[in-house]
Formats: sequence, C-alpha cells, structure tokens
Amino acid sequence: MGSINQKSIYYIAKKEFMDNIRNKWIILLTTLLFLLVIVFAYLAYVQPEQPGNSMDMTQSTAVGLMGISSMLIPLIAIILGFSTISGEAESGSFSVVLSYPVTRLEVLLGKFLGLGSVIVTAVLIGFGFAGVIITAAAGGDSWLGYIVFMGLTILLGLIFLSLSICISALCKKRITSIGGGLIIFFWSTIIGSVFMGILYGSGYSFDNLMTGNMPDWFWCESFFSPADLSQAAVMRGFGMNEINSMGFSATLPDFLNIWSALFVDLLWLIIPLVLAYFFFKRRDI
Amino acid sequence: MISKRLKCPKCKYEVTIEGNPGEKVTITCPSCNAKGAFTFPGDKPAGDFSIQINGLTKMFNGLKAVDNVSFNVRRGEIFGFLGPNGAGKTTTIKAMLGLIHTDSGEIRINGFDAIKHGKEVKNSIGYLPERIAFYDNLTPVQTLNFFCELKGADKSVVKPLLKEVGLEESIDKKVGNFSKGMLQLLGIAQTIIGNPSVYILDEPTSGLDARWVKIVRDKIKTLNEQGATIMFSSHILSEVQSLCDRVAIIDKGKLVAEDTVPGLNKLLKIKPRLEIYISDLNGKIPEVISQIEGIDAVDAKENVLFVTCDYSVRIKVVTALEKAGFQIKDMKTIDPSLEEAFMKLLFKDGGAN
Repeated sequence: MGSINQKSIYYIAKKEFMDNIRNKWIILLTTLLFLLVIVFAYLAYVQPEQPGNSMDMTQSTAVGLMGISSMLIPLIAIILGFSTISGEAESGSFSVVLSYPVTRLEVLLGKFLGLGSVIVTAVLIGFGFAGVIITAAAGGDSWLGYIVFMGLTILLGLIFLSLSICISALCKKRITSIGGGLIIFFWSTIIGSVFMGILYGSGYSFDNLMTGNMPDWFWCESFFSPADLSQAAVMRGFGMNEINSMGFSATLPDFLNIWSALFVDLLWLIIPLVLAYFFFKRRDI
Repeated sequence: MISKRLKCPKCKYEVTIEGNPGEKVTITCPSCNAKGAFTFPGDKPAGDFSIQINGLTKMFNGLKAVDNVSFNVRRGEIFGFLGPNGAGKTTTIKAMLGLIHTDSGEIRINGFDAIKHGKEVKNSIGYLPERIAFYDNLTPVQTLNFFCELKGADKSVVKPLLKEVGLEESIDKKVGNFSKGMLQLLGIAQTIIGNPSVYILDEPTSGLDARWVKIVRDKIKTLNEQGATIMFSSHILSEVQSLCDRVAIIDKGKLVAEDTVPGLNKLLKIKPRLEIYISDLNGKIPEVISQIEGIDAVDAKENVLFVTCDYSVRIKVVTALEKAGFQIKDMKTIDPSLEEAFMKLLFKDGGAN
C-alpha cells in the first residue's frame, strides 16, 4: 500500500465535505429528518401515558424514530456514496485528481471521511437539536440512551456509506451504481423475505411469528441486515428486550445484544471498505 | 528537474528543494540554519529525456489498445502526439499517469519509474485530460485551492491564475454552472499549479473559442520558453505543426512515426508545391513542363499552375516556362504540411477517399 499521507486524506475529506454538504438532496433529507424528529417528539410529549409503558419521552421519541432513521439515513448515505467512484471516473474528475501526488488509498479514505462527516452533520442537525429540546422538556435521565441512539444512527449511516462506496468502486458506470444503490437500500426487505421464506418452509406459521414463537436462528437475520441490527442495538441501548408493535410481540434473544451488534456492525463497516479499495485499486480510470 | 518538499527535523520549517533522480542535494534550513542532505530517488538518470516510453502495451478485453509503443520526449521540447480517434493516444497518456494499468512496458518521467515512484512523478506533471470535470458545488477558487493543497503549492497563485485564464469574473460562481469552455480554462489553470516541469495536455484547445485558442497556444509557448517539456495531443494538425518541435503518430495502437515535421515529409517523400501565376494560362498545362525530370504532379486552374517537385527542381521549372515565352506574374512555394504526412501515413490513398 505504501506510506499514507494524512494531509492528503484530510484535503480530500475537506473537499468532499464542502462539495456534498451543499447537495440539494442532502439538504432536503436533513430538513425532513429534523421536522420528523420534532413531530415525533411532540407526539411523544402529548400522548397519554399507557399502562405498562415504562418509556419516558426521550425513549419514546428515539424508538419511534428508529424506523425513520433506518430509512432516511441509509438513503442519505447511498445518495452520497453510490457514484462517488463510478461517477467521478465517468465524468473525468478522477483523471485530474489522480494525476496529483495522491494514492488511491488516500483518495478512498478521504472520500469516506469527508462523506462520513456529511452524515455526522446530517444526524447532528436532524437529531441533535431536537434531542436537546426533548431531554430538557422531559427532564429524564435517558439522554445517554439518546446519545447511544444518535451514535448508532451515525454508525448505520457509515455502514451504508461504506457499502455504497464499495458498489461504486465495483460498477464501471454511474447508471449501474444506481442499481447497486437500490439493492443496498432494499437489502433489509430482501434479506428479511429470504429468512421469512426459510421460516415458513420450516413449518412455522404467521401466528407463530406474531406471538414471538420463533426459533433463535431467525433472529440471525439481523446480523445480515445492518438496518435491522441497528434497530436491535438501539433497543438494547435503551435497556429494552421486548418488541411490542402492532400486535407483534417478541423477546430479543440474549446473543443479540449491543456488543454482538456493534461487532457485526464494525464488520459491515470495514469489509465493504476493504473490498472498495481492492476494486478501486484494480480499476482503469 | 524535480522538486520535493521537506520538513526540517529540527524546527519543522518546510523547504522545497530541486534536483535530478539520484542527485544528492545539501540543504540549509532558512529558519534554524540546520544542515542536512537529501538524495533524490530514481535508479536511472533522466539524461536528455523528460519522458521515456519503452514497449508499452495495454489490452482491453483481449484487444491491444496500445501495442508495444516506444518513444522519447526530449527535455524542453514541445512534442505532438497524434492519431485518429481510438488510435490509443489517451490510453498511452493515461498509462503515463498511472490512471490505467499496463500489461507490459516501461514509463519513465524525469528518470523516475512512473509506477514505482508515482508520487514523485506526479509532483512534476501538469495534466489536462481530454474530458474534464470538477466538483459542481465548489467555486473555481475552492477547486484550485484543493489542487494546491494536494501538490503542496502556494495558494496565493490561485487568483492570478484564474485571471490569466480569463475566469476572474466567475470566481464566485459554482463550477457546476460553468460552460465547457470555462471548464477547459479551469483545467488549464490547474495544470500550472506547482510549476511542473512536464505538461501532458490532451486536446488543450478543445471547446475553446478562437480568442482563447490563441491565448492557450501562447501559454504553451511561454511555458516551453520557461523550460517546461510539453507533450500534447490535438486533432488540429495546423496547431501541432505550428507549436511542436517533434511529433509522434499512433494508429491502431501502434506507433507509425516519430520525427520533426520536415523529417516526416522527407521520410514520406512529400514534396513542396509550387504555385506559379501566369498570364493567359487559361487552365492549360504547358507542354514544356512534361520535359522536366523530378516533377511529381502538375495541375492548372485558370491562370495558376501547380507543380509538386523538390526545391531543387523549382528553378528548372521557372527557367523552362520563361524560355517558352510564358509571362510569370508571381509565384510561391507551399511547404508540405503535417496534414499531408498524417494522411499519407494513415491512409494509403493519402486520404483522398
């Protein structure tokens, strides 16, 4: 790999941040995220306390936001990453950048850090400001859980960024990267459907599923889906073990804890990035 | 000559030194006066050449896009790299910059192996690609600042550079709103960052209007006069002929010629054309012409006689015409052009069909 020039990585990261923070789609999605957090916080604030519900306002907001964050944050990451290599190779800007004294590894790391900073900024703006208001209004001590939620959301964004950069390094053309980005975005649905199919094929019924009467291996699906894994990790982060939603009830197995989730998340983060370098290094620009 | 930025180990002051591969340079820190030495890496002396290409081959899907190409570009010369579309020009240029992986061959820039010493090589190169793009949401100042950072160059050159290429009124605009010509000018500005000793320009005047074509050509001449080596490809053969010291022509991945323009014409036996203006010629070829040896072609249109022959035969033609009573009003010699050599090399019929 040769020696790495940290300054070059920083300059590339700075340029990526400056260029992409002004991306109209990112501004739009971050604004949407911010508004949805406010709406959820308000709903959590005004809803009457339900018997048996031990969650405070911050927890309710965070759990309510899980579904939205696991959709919008990956979308932001995919928009940022899907064409970062294939698009620049196609447009010609890579020909210029790579004619400067920088290595492909420095370019890749700079891009990841710069685009990752855009995700961090989007999460901090989308969730951070509202989090401060919510925690102040609720006065509870679950702010730590909310910070864990924000951290896991950032991690989810970085995982999807790593995946989309990998797809971008693999695809020769921008248009094929879009297809790759769509597969990544719907990956949870795809892998969920595969596990459901296996579950039904093994003789389990819909009723078994709704009552949480399912085998432990079924929960392994979360390890194959970063979005589902992130949701499980957020629940564990708030000390919750049970899922009770729309008539569905289940208890998370012990092996699906925050540490196992973080370990697998790190694999989801690092492996695609290593593969991206492998594809990028071999690529003709 | 290549440059290298070094940090003083004592006071961390940054100094830029210049030297050739293998050369040992003694340095005195301007800040703390500490003394040291640096040996420039590179296992072969560059000699008289800035660019040395030897046996370069690149295959795409089993087809040879560049086939065993070898040529040298002398230090301080302007070198034209020509060929029809798809001949392998851009592939060769991209291989020189490490943008594509080669199947075999050796590329040396200023004596450095372009693959092993990629960073050193790129420090001494200014490259303008054929198809240029930058970052849509950045201004031209931010764009050039970024390239200055990558090359460790002083950012104070950015605004004067933008002024020099005529983009001073667009410094606050986003590059995404630039026209093709403006992008080309920004591209030319970025090549100059860091004062490289070698410029590789792929179609530098593409997309520019006549005024800017002249400015770019003048800039190429100025950079060359300042000592830079310039290799460029162009479809405008008259441009290449007027600027270049030597040219190389590539076709179907193979190098078919490398010489000066007069050298190519001599090699291809392309002779100058004599245009003789004669009173009352009326489009008829005088019989006396057919008796002169060494004439390749003759034609007449109205009162102009066109004779293709060696310089040494010209006087025989003129004397014979005068002796035969023709009244010569004017005459001029048209030197053979690069276009003729190009056509003769690439098309057997000289491009007639």
